[in-house]
Amino acid sequence: MFLEIMIMALESLKQNKTRTLLSMLGVIIGVSTVIAVFAIGKGAETAVDDQFAGLSAKSIIVFGGFGGGKGGPTASSKLNIEDVQIIREEAKLIGAATGVVQGNATISYDGAEGSFAVIGTDLNFFIISNLNLVEGRLFTSDEIEDKDRVVVLGSNVVEDLFEEGDTIIGSTIVIAGKKLEVLGYFEETGANMGKTNKDESVYVPYKTAETSLLGSKGGSIMLTLEAIDVDSVELVTEEITNILREEHGLKDSQADDFRIMNAGSMVGAAQESASLMTTVLTLVAAIVLLVSGIGIMNVMFVTVAERTKEIGIAKAIGAKQENILSQFLFESIILSAVGGLIGIGLGQGMIPIISNFGGLAVTSTLTGPVLGFTFSALVGIVFGFYPALKASRLDPVDALRSE
Amino acid sequence: MNKQTEIKLENVKKSYYLSNGEEVPVLNGIDLEIQKGEFVALMGESGGGKTTLLNIIGCLHPLSGGKYFLENENIGVVRDDYILAFIRNKKMGFIFQQFNLYTRLTALKNVALPALYAGKEKQDRNERAKKLLGSVGLGDRIGYKPTELSGGQQQRVAVARALINDPEIILADEPTGALDSKSGLEVMEIFKDFKKRGKTVVMVTHTAEVAKYADRIIFLKDGRVVSNDYKLKSNY
Repeated sequence: MFLEIMIMALESLKQNKTRTLLSMLGVIIGVSTVIAVFAIGKGAETAVDDQFAGLSAKSIIVFGGFGGGKGGPTASSKLNIEDVQIIREEAKLIGAATGVVQGNATISYDGAEGSFAVIGTDLNFFIISNLNLVEGRLFTSDEIEDKDRVVVLGSNVVEDLFEEGDTIIGSTIVIAGKKLEVLGYFEETGANMGKTNKDESVYVPYKTAETSLLGSKGGSIMLTLEAIDVDSVELVTEEITNILREEHGLKDSQADDFRIMNAGSMVGAAQESASLMTTVLTLVAAIVLLVSGIGIMNVMFVTVAERTKEIGIAKAIGAKQENILSQFLFESIILSAVGGLIGIGLGQGMIPIISNFGGLAVTSTLTGPVLGFTFSALVGIVFGFYPALKASRLDPVDALRSE
Repeated sequence: MNKQTEIKLENVKKSYYLSNGEEVPVLNGIDLEIQKGEFVALMGESGGGKTTLLNIIGCLHPLSGGKYFLENENIGVVRDDYILAFIRNKKMGFIFQQFNLYTRLTALKNVALPALYAGKEKQDRNERAKKLLGSVGLGDRIGYKPTELSGGQQQRVAVARALINDPEIILADEPTGALDSKSGLEVMEIFKDFKKRGKTVVMVTHTAEVAKYADRIIFLKDGRVVSNDYKLKSNY
């Protein structure tokens, strides 16, 4: 009987397709918003995680080029490879330390060309970063000292410059007009280092980078250190601050001319902004669903008013209040549930579009559809109940008299 | 034949209230007894309270005063929707002047609907509905919607619907009012058969031709019974 009253509800919805569709529209938009919101939120979180995936919790990054008095950053305020040496010698709680010189350059091979990040570094860098060779080898300390023109490529660089079947190891590529020999290439990491995508970078000995590739544009070195354990991160931060202040000859009144960040503070800040975005968007979606609920209530009131006579007949032939209540309630639940399902389809369909055209990182979640559907069904029950209750309590004679 | 009282009204009053609170009395103390197996016509001027009386008997209206016994049960005091719906569903069959069929449902589904509310299984409902439609001469029209049927055919669908739960009483409010005389008489023949099976018919009508089918006529005026055993010369 339950089922059959549901079928009756379905049939009466079919009777007025335009209105049914219009009243579903709010729910459809609401649910697809919820799904998109969760996908964007999750995507932002994943992006944050990816960005710092290359960093362990022990990692500390030091940037130079801050402060340095009224004249802005000066030559001395830049970090250089000597700073790395001194830190390595003096700091007691660090495991590995590496300096990175970074710049962008045009790289070409056999007619193919692209702009990529050039990262000049030493061997310690490869201990800290999560880069794994597919083929070939890393450069050696001798090659660093000799400023040899050798290079190890990130996965995207290989993909962009080389065709399938090309011999990669031993080939010669041109970076900023200079010829370099390819020693090896890395697996795809999908990770970032600061703002630089590790896969879209090439790695060269830092001396080579400094002298012949980046020249004066090379700018400051970014230091990447690793504390011996997670608990020492704060101490190491303090230790390095003292070493660098002394090294740079800063007076007590002067501010640091460098900035130290550790993995914890960076991930925390990024995650916070990602979760704030999710909260705000969720609120928006909740409002949309609320409005769609009011829309459904409106439509149900109109439906009840239109079908008053029908309700009178139903009562005269023996329908109980609960029969009438459940029929109208079913109608609003079907409206919102079907709207919810369409919304799920639309929302899931929107995800690739958002990621392709919106340039946003999105990740499909299960929470989005489940929550969206639950909400929409709830909207149907909550906002359909009052009109249905009113319908069930109509006076049968008054209802029969209406036209 | 042993007489058994089906319906008994004692000093029944019914008033409506206007939106300004003013009381409009419609029934001013009705005393009435209808026996099981009787066919009774309610006649009288418009506004005399015929339809209101019928609705009270049909448990669609609460009383404003007095007592209503149905099969010796004092149901005038019952306000419980479950019980009232049960009585309307199982004990009574309503027939209206304007048929009041569901236009979007087929004849078969219209007839079967009260059985759905009674909780009958689909197969039982449809079998009985088909049988009833056959007995009112619409066996070949079960899949038609009301708009595809003539007025007379629609009223016969409505009669079949009223009979689906095998009620004790038919309550008919001007059942022939919208029909041509031939169709009207067909409906009366069905009522006659119903009565022959020992069941009760209470019918509001304006037409003497139709009232002739009744065992007696009760005349109402200004909410009172002015005559309750008038008999027209029967033509059957």
